Amino acid sequence: MSENQASPKGRKKTDPKTWYRLDLSAIVYPTLQRRDFSSVYRLSVLLKEDIQPDILQKAVDIALKRFPTYKVTIRKGLFWRYLEPNDRPGPFVQKDIKNPCMPMNFKANNHYLMRVYYYGRRISLEAHHSLGDGTGGMCVLQTITAVYLRLLGHKISNGYFVLDVDSEPDPEELEDAYMRYANAKVCPSRPAAETYRVRGTKEPFHTFNIIDGILSVKEVATVAASYKVTITEYLNAVLLYALLQKQLNEFHLKLKPVRIAMPVNLRRFFPSKTLRNFITMVYPFIDPRLGDYTFDDIVRQVHNYMRFYIDEKFLRGDITTNAETKRNPFIRIVPLFIKDFVVRMFYTKVQDRNSSAGLTNMGALKVPEDMKPFIDRFDIYMGQPFSSRTNCAIISFEDILTINFASCIVEADVERNFFRKLVEDGIHVTIESNRTYDED
Amino acid sequence: MSYCVNCGVKLEPSLDRCPLCNTPVLNPNDIPLDRPVSPFPKEKGQVEVVKRKDLAILLSVVLLATGGTCLLLNLLAFQNHFWSLYVIGACLVIWVMAIPAVIYTRMSMPLSLLLDGAAIALYQYLICFNTTDNRWFLQLGLPITVLVTALAILLTLLIRKVSHSFLAVALYIFSEIAVLCVGIELLIRHFLERDPALTWSALVLAICCVIVIALVTIISRARLRNAVRRRLHF
Repeated sequence: MSENQASPKGRKKTDPKTWYRLDLSAIVYPTLQRRDFSSVYRLSVLLKEDIQPDILQKAVDIALKRFPTYKVTIRKGLFWRYLEPNDRPGPFVQKDIKNPCMPMNFKANNHYLMRVYYYGRRISLEAHHSLGDGTGGMCVLQTITAVYLRLLGHKISNGYFVLDVDSEPDPEELEDAYMRYANAKVCPSRPAAETYRVRGTKEPFHTFNIIDGILSVKEVATVAASYKVTITEYLNAVLLYALLQKQLNEFHLKLKPVRIAMPVNLRRFFPSKTLRNFITMVYPFIDPRLGDYTFDDIVRQVHNYMRFYIDEKFLRGDITTNAETKRNPFIRIVPLFIKDFVVRMFYTKVQDRNSSAGLTNMGALKVPEDMKPFIDRFDIYMGQPFSSRTNCAIISFEDILTINFASCIVEADVERNFFRKLVEDGIHVTIESNRTYDED
Repeated sequence: MSYCVNCGVKLEPSLDRCPLCNTPVLNPNDIPLDRPVSPFPKEKGQVEVVKRKDLAILLSVVLLATGGTCLLLNLLAFQNHFWSLYVIGACLVIWVMAIPAVIYTRMSMPLSLLLDGAAIALYQYLICFNTTDNRWFLQLGLPITVLVTALAILLTLLIRKVSHSFLAVALYIFSEIAVLCVGIELLIRHFLERDPALTWSALVLAICCVIVIALVTIISRARLRNAVRRRLHF
């Protein structure tokens, strides 16, 4: 059996022996699958002209051949799930919908774990997290966009996230990079602590409330520089501030620490071309039980936390701790259904309660120079939160910084506090939303 | 383009309220003649339905082949009695029960239960062909099947239409257990040609009555109901 191997013939006709193990992070996501929840994220690109669906479909068909770990279906083994090449027709582009990131049944949609949508000038890619992280997904989206623009007659070069569709996939793109770098001599423990949790009124299934804030990168960078921190640190501090305000304004018997779950792209520290998951979580926090925090205090705390913990050694220790569970022979021989039960229990009782909100920053996106004139902006949505809370995702392109909040709850307190703080700091914010209101 | 008077953010032109604070946008100087196009679509998506056509075909073919083969064996080889009816009946029951799962997933629950009951009754009728007397079927098998099916349908309708709270479901179940036990005992006595009377089912009835009265009391008292829910939540 050849695992993680794309044979030279595999491009034309899938080698029946090809299959892929789930990477270390991807193991968790399918276990959380429920009728009303899937770990699906969305990446969008807003072009300058309206999308032509038939050309987009051709672009998807051409580009996806370059991404064997995305043109797959997920299967259950006795001990682990795995990915298997999917030769069924599709995935087909479809008109966009108001409530994206819908749960993804593994056996629907011709067994594909990704969807491609179009609406007006926008192309959106939704992918199940078991296929890969935002960086991998962005490579797929940008390559599809580049092929689409080429089919329209434009000359687009390869580079950055745009991969050469005529080349064979590099084996490193398909690797589980965690296992290559999980080689610390010790497994540091990760203490779980009591954390403030946002309690919101659940919207009916499946409502997905989006609030996008569009800002100028220069303005945010200037304000962040005035606090002597980076943009990520500043926006993290604003989100912590928004959550703290919400907690203070709510009825509470005692205050709890406010903590943000923030994925860190490990490719920055451990060189890998992998298109699969290669992230780990850090949890910047403030503990209001220690005293009153001003915004400056929060910014300083976040800045120091990030400088201390986002470090190659700490991150290596963290991924080693994760990898040990997968390497342990006793865990490996436990049947899948027991693993599913235990992982789901751990996630629900510990992991999900470990943070008040999620925040991801994909940073400043780069595209090939000749592709720039065709692109307005990018959007990223972390997808439906596992519990009743809000997730925030940030991405920037040229001078446009987009902050995308996504939730399945009625209340928009966190978003309100967040954007009001930005306005207070002198940043111009433009808001877009898919929320609708019944007439009073 | 307007700003929210409350939040100070600029609002995208298609928004008629601030999504952050729900304040309506009223800008007398900027009344758009055409309603601006929203950057988000209006149509809501539906979760994709899993197609189980292949599984349905496979199941139907396997059951049909099993029943057909047994019938042929019975007719051509082992002709002592109609034993193949047991297998054919079992295949039919499995197929009917599989309808809502793999063949027609949109079938309503009460209809599905009704068909299940009918299939089981038919299976008992097929068994009758191999028994000397069909009195057990008419006086015991069929009435009990009808009773169980009716109670199952009633339970489904009560949960769907009336209330599906934990306490209400407990109330339905205990009431139905009492009715079922009384019904079974009366039918057995009728089958054995004895006078109608309650013995063991009276005990079940009494216990269920106590539980039902307690549940009705809890449900009718809001404070008590909430206290029980708090302590028993899972």
